[in-house]
Amino acid sequence: MASIARQSSPLLRSAFRAPFATKNVAQVVAFHASAKKQILPPLPQTIQGTMNDPAPIPKSHPTEGSYHWTFERIVSAGLVPLCIAPFAAGSMSPVMDAVICSAIVVHSHIGFHASITDYFPTRRVPKTHTFMIWLLRAFTLSTAVGLYEFETNDVGVTEALRRVWNA
Amino acid sequence: MAALRTTSRLFASSKPLFRPAAFTRSYATVDALSQDPNPSEQPRVKTFHVYRWNPDQPTEKPKMQSYSLDLNKTGPMMLDALIRIKNEMDPTLTFRRSCREGICGSCAMNIDGVNTLACLCRIPTDTAKESRIYPLPHTYVVKDLVPDLTYFYKQYKSIKPYLQRDTPTADGLENRQSPEERKKLDGLYECILCACCSTSCPSYWWNSEEYLGPAILLQSYRWLADSRDEKTAERKAALDNSMSVYRCHTILNCSRTCPKGLNPARAIAEIKKMMTAH
Amino acid sequence: MLSQKVAQQSLRRLAVQQPYALRWSLMNSVSPAAVALGRAVQTRHAATSSNSSDPTKLLAQQRLNRPVSPHLSIYRPQITWIGSSIHRITGIALSGSLYLYASAYLASPMLGWDLGSASAAAAFAALPVVAKVALKTTMALPFTYHCMNGVRHLIWDTGAGLTNPQVIKSGWTVVGLSTLSALILAFL
Repeated sequence: MASIARQSSPLLRSAFRAPFATKNVAQVVAFHASAKKQILPPLPQTIQGTMNDPAPIPKSHPTEGSYHWTFERIVSAGLVPLCIAPFAAGSMSPVMDAVICSAIVVHSHIGFHASITDYFPTRRVPKTHTFMIWLLRAFTLSTAVGLYEFETNDVGVTEALRRVWNA
Repeated sequence: MAALRTTSRLFASSKPLFRPAAFTRSYATVDALSQDPNPSEQPRVKTFHVYRWNPDQPTEKPKMQSYSLDLNKTGPMMLDALIRIKNEMDPTLTFRRSCREGICGSCAMNIDGVNTLACLCRIPTDTAKESRIYPLPHTYVVKDLVPDLTYFYKQYKSIKPYLQRDTPTADGLENRQSPEERKKLDGLYECILCACCSTSCPSYWWNSEEYLGPAILLQSYRWLADSRDEKTAERKAALDNSMSVYRCHTILNCSRTCPKGLNPARAIAEIKKMMTAH
Repeated sequence: MLSQKVAQQSLRRLAVQQPYALRWSLMNSVSPAAVALGRAVQTRHAATSSNSSDPTKLLAQQRLNRPVSPHLSIYRPQITWIGSSIHRITGIALSGSLYLYASAYLASPMLGWDLGSASAAAAFAALPVVAKVALKTTMALPFTYHCMNGVRHLIWDTGAGLTNPQVIKSGWTVVGLSTLSALILAFL
């Protein structure tokens, strides 16, 4: 008998709600789920195939994936001593200056490329993606030629930076 | 007497029908009479702002709804608060929950800005601060706090999460492992696929259609690291593209947020190392 | 008695003429055993929904209406992702300014600009000291942060330093060291 009484007590309690809960009328606040000017908002949800079909595996490409990643890390790791060298040595030879410049250009190109892949994915905006990639290629080329001009006609990047810094 | 016995048997048989309701209530709400030692205690009222969206009114924008609960009458965990809101204040509030002990991964949500399991997340006792509860970030919302994880599961399926081998063992019995080989799977097999880490990853937010995300990559590494699996080369080849793994930029939100204390970032770093050698 | 016999006969006739109808009518009626046990047998007739739309498309249509839950705006600022976004922003700012300068230098003979190091140094020297220090800091801070955080990334890629306490500690170390070194560079 006691067990029955105990069992029914929660039911009784639900019938007579806690005074606090009834007193409180839930407030509703308007909420903006997204910023007003969203950049590239996600498309409405579509799912290809059923629950039991695996998601498609992206196509592999010899210049993407593991080789690309390893190359990127080698360039980045190489930049560590190259960034310290000008501070340690004071002035750089034109050859070392050219090495630093080319490493930075390659590193920048990879970095921009990764940003484009992240924020302008082929799947979402294929034309913008292609345009951005070609724009990046053009800019990298003009930067490389411009830096070559600077190296040959001017004093070199590290030396120029040093002069401006100490001006 | 006999009649009484039959009724009692009837009661016993119908018990499972009653039980869930009684149980849900008992762990969500602290019994005020039996467990509150000091009835005159000051109520500790905390406000919870909960993300609401109803698919039956699809044109309406999602909104935040606030509920106030007395913490003295609520269980210690966020899930207790949610269940109490659903039981006593607003039965339309929708969320997933099952085990209430952090093993099913159903109640994964964003609580106070961090993805976690509601059943493992204590309610901050500071009543001056209001808690905010959202569904897992950058997911398509089914209703209120319920996200659609269909694509997440499809991605899980795409990595073939099972043992693949063609050669039978020498003695025709089970595939054995040394204790050292088994040890490599520690910190990987415990993953419950609650999607907390994947939906905390900005890279996954922007590219969830192609990037696998930390949870699936941790599972992928679990099979790459398994000494009994013979399809390591095929598994690595399937990952060798610009999207599947290499959208990971070591942001490390995944390891920071994992409610089970696992380290998906380390698993991804190990995958990248394996891929370099391949 | 008579009524019972009539019923029996009609059933038999039905069985001969429409065997299926008999089976369905018997299946749908409540069995005596069920009556005795006090349980009514549940029967389910064919669905007679007025909804003529394809049920397989219903979910797909619902999906199109779903909102995306909030993300960047609600996630708690943590050193992990804030540090990472600053890493990318500083990288883009540094490389972007290099790209712009080098491309402008290439185009300068055609445009008639003087972007050589001598004129740049002269223009910089003409600035007041406060502006010099401020400009140097804004140039040095992204550089020092990106370099030091880059080293942190390279350490992570070896699989080391990936536990939560290590990540938090190294993150704030990078913030402190980069600020300090940027200030030293600014006052150089």
